[in-house]
Amino acid sequence: MNRYWFCLSGLLLAVLLFGCAGKSSSDSNEMVLYTAHGAKIHGLDPGDIGDQTSAAYASQIYETLYDYHYLKRPYELIPQLAAEMPLISQDGLTYTIHLRNDVYFQPDKCFGKNQKRRLTAHDFVYAWKRIADIKYISKNWWVFDGRIKGLDEFREYTKTVQKGQTVDYNLPVEGLHTPDDFTLVIRLKQPWPQIIYMLAHLPTAPMAKEAVEYYGRDIINHPVGTGPYMLGRWHRGSFIELVRNPNWRGQLYPSEGEPNDFPDGFLADAGRAVPFADRLISVLIEEDPPSWFLFLQGKIDASGIPKDNFSQAIDQRRQLTDDMKRRGIRLYTFRDPSTYWIGFNMEDPVLANNKPLRKAISYAVDRDKYIELFTNNRGETAYGIIPPLMKDYDPNISKIGAHYDVARARQYAEEAKKLNGGVMPKLKFAMPGTDVVFRQRGDFLIKCFRDAGLNIEIDYMDWPTFLDKIKTKSAQMFGLGWVADIPDSENFLQLFYSRNISPGPNNFNYSSPEFDKIYEQLRVMQDCPERTELYRKAERIVIEDAPAVFILHGVAYILTHDWLYNYKPHAFAYGLSKYRRVDTEKREKYRKRFKDF
Amino acid sequence: METISVNSVSSVAQNAGRSLWSDALRRLRRRKTAMFCFAVIIVYFSIAAFLYAVDIFHIPLAVADWSRQIGPEYQPPGAKYIFGTDFLGRSVFRKALYGAKTSITVALWASLISISIGVPLGAMAGYFRGIIDQLIVWLYTTLSCVPYILLILAFALVLADKTLDVFGWKIPLSGTATVYLAIGLTSWVGICRLIRGEVIKHKNRDYVLAARSYGAGSGRIIFRHLLPNVFHIVIINFSLRFVGFIQAEVILSFLGLGEKNSPSWGAMIDSARLDLPKGYWWEMTAATAAIFVISLALNVFGDALRDCLDPKLRTE
Repeated sequence: MNRYWFCLSGLLLAVLLFGCAGKSSSDSNEMVLYTAHGAKIHGLDPGDIGDQTSAAYASQIYETLYDYHYLKRPYELIPQLAAEMPLISQDGLTYTIHLRNDVYFQPDKCFGKNQKRRLTAHDFVYAWKRIADIKYISKNWWVFDGRIKGLDEFREYTKTVQKGQTVDYNLPVEGLHTPDDFTLVIRLKQPWPQIIYMLAHLPTAPMAKEAVEYYGRDIINHPVGTGPYMLGRWHRGSFIELVRNPNWRGQLYPSEGEPNDFPDGFLADAGRAVPFADRLISVLIEEDPPSWFLFLQGKIDASGIPKDNFSQAIDQRRQLTDDMKRRGIRLYTFRDPSTYWIGFNMEDPVLANNKPLRKAISYAVDRDKYIELFTNNRGETAYGIIPPLMKDYDPNISKIGAHYDVARARQYAEEAKKLNGGVMPKLKFAMPGTDVVFRQRGDFLIKCFRDAGLNIEIDYMDWPTFLDKIKTKSAQMFGLGWVADIPDSENFLQLFYSRNISPGPNNFNYSSPEFDKIYEQLRVMQDCPERTELYRKAERIVIEDAPAVFILHGVAYILTHDWLYNYKPHAFAYGLSKYRRVDTEKREKYRKRFKDF
Repeated sequence: METISVNSVSSVAQNAGRSLWSDALRRLRRRKTAMFCFAVIIVYFSIAAFLYAVDIFHIPLAVADWSRQIGPEYQPPGAKYIFGTDFLGRSVFRKALYGAKTSITVALWASLISISIGVPLGAMAGYFRGIIDQLIVWLYTTLSCVPYILLILAFALVLADKTLDVFGWKIPLSGTATVYLAIGLTSWVGICRLIRGEVIKHKNRDYVLAARSYGAGSGRIIFRHLLPNVFHIVIINFSLRFVGFIQAEVILSFLGLGEKNSPSWGAMIDSARLDLPKGYWWEMTAATAAIFVISLALNVFGDALRDCLDPKLRTE
């Protein structure tokens, strides 16, 4: 019965896909990329984007000052809208950035007769002031909060603007200076080495004042960017189509990369003009089965692997199954910048005053089994907070961090019992979900705790209730994770800084003067071996204090058809569709051959 | 003038001396299938009672420890593992037994709650009529307008994680308690309607008029005279709705609103949903088989009870 439903829903979506295409790609020389997104696109205004799906499509339309090199690893920044890397003053407080003078916004009616509106430094200043504007209620104020001279004051000023009056964006901000149309000078309150990554982060993209004024609040539906693509059609809850931006300046496919990139075919298009695809079409498919079905039919060029279909795609040796190979499907795996953990509320009297108890729990959780049961082995065992993807990852961390050892856990549990002066009270774990997957995780934790001689009760709740418990420090233990936006380990270590305790990102409510001292030192340092050493030192302090049990670092599995070229996964960049190329003839052949499910 | 033999007289006397209940019991005993189903129901109730005793008196019994790993994960049913093992190597058989405890508890409490609301309200509506009847009929008509499952879900969500204060005695509402309260508070409409109809039928009968002529008050007439005469309907309804309550518990647990820290059949089916694509069918089979057997037994027994207790349906 289910199979028929899958077929029916797949058929409907196929109709939708071809409906979106207008005409089949085989009928013309057009190159169209077909993808699917599993969550709704909320809006395409970079200043207010807070979700990954919206960011993925807005990043094809908007550009930032800097971007990640598509092929090089470790991740490296290169100029995009900037003409060169920034000039940084000796004290690390002033960044001078020269812009390219050949960048134009896409043609749009908001520009009137001038359909080639050139990008200037003022568009950055305007976009950032707009994020600071309290009336705009941007989700991304955190990027600039307390960083740039005068911007916080500008935000305070916007609070005083009465209803009905307009915010004066011409008011000068000390830290945002434009000596000429193509030079931007940023003055910081204190050194902030991570700013360079933020300048490659979508919320810092420039905005044309004319577009914001013309469309008003509706700007989320009318993006006006400088990127390789612009919005063609967008039916919310259905599909989105992006088409080439005729005003785009052009770019060449990179000619350098990692040593394996040449044999892997990622350098076959080196030096060719991008973008390759004329149109991008993405259909909203919220459920996994129809998305998977369309991928197998060749209606989607790339896909993740749904949990229930994992064994259909990947065999015991973690390789593609024969069926997938027969279909010419390729597998890409890459490390996520993520860490998942069981957190302890360090303000809870039972946990805070009993380090052996925290240690007992750290040794009681069977991480490998957890990864096998709940992620289909799509994860690496975590021993610390910094994931292996980061260049500051400590190669010796597995010798320092806690690992699964029941005997040791029992030993610590006994110590904890003595320290507590009798039997340990039942511990309570806040689980951020109520469905079967979370219940199975709860059952698994109960088993692990029980093996160590500890008693735990799982409190299942919905996500908003869970967040509320975390923010109000009322959860004793909780399961959570962190995915980094930027390739800097400071992004993880800030989670333990005492000034960030709840409702800030330090959900552990952990406070260590020793850690704080190192953190305050490292967060203003530019990238250097000394800073890496400090990162590792801070991480070891956290491991020793055990405010969390680190469980796993994510590993992503992506499948692509063999007609899709240049699909090198990237952990931080989104605007990569310009590099993708499709062999449309090959795709048509596959579709005919594998017409049936 | 018709003459009757002495034997006939004694037979009439015997029939006249048998009450509704003893007559029903006699008829029930003759039905082998119904008695077998009754035995099955007794077994389920005994399992639940036994597991309660184990919990209360902390009896260290392996079969009662559902959370212990007994072997490798996902072992199929066999001589060593009766119904196989689940994703943590726990016995599916033990979980199915514990499911009986959860389901019987929920169904029993839900039945008691719905009867204790529905029967008095139905009797009052049928006896007093007028404004009281209109109010009660309005209330249950309104309730029955809302789709049943949605209503239970709404109640379950509202009641979850609340504390019930009964004269200073605080009862935390979580898991099983939430489920049986939600089911009980939403499912009294059927019994209320039935009792109301029966009471309307009975209220002008001779025995009620006789009681009234002796000066009996309304309360006494309802609870001492009317209700005992319509109580067989409550018994029949109880046995038939018990199945529905077990199934409601399964649905609520399946939707994640039921018992979470101990097994239930609904939670087992929900969990097995993820295992089926991998070919691990035994947890789903064990839970559905357990539900099927108790549902069938209750339905057959309930039908037999109705046949025996309702004079209009007596076929023998």
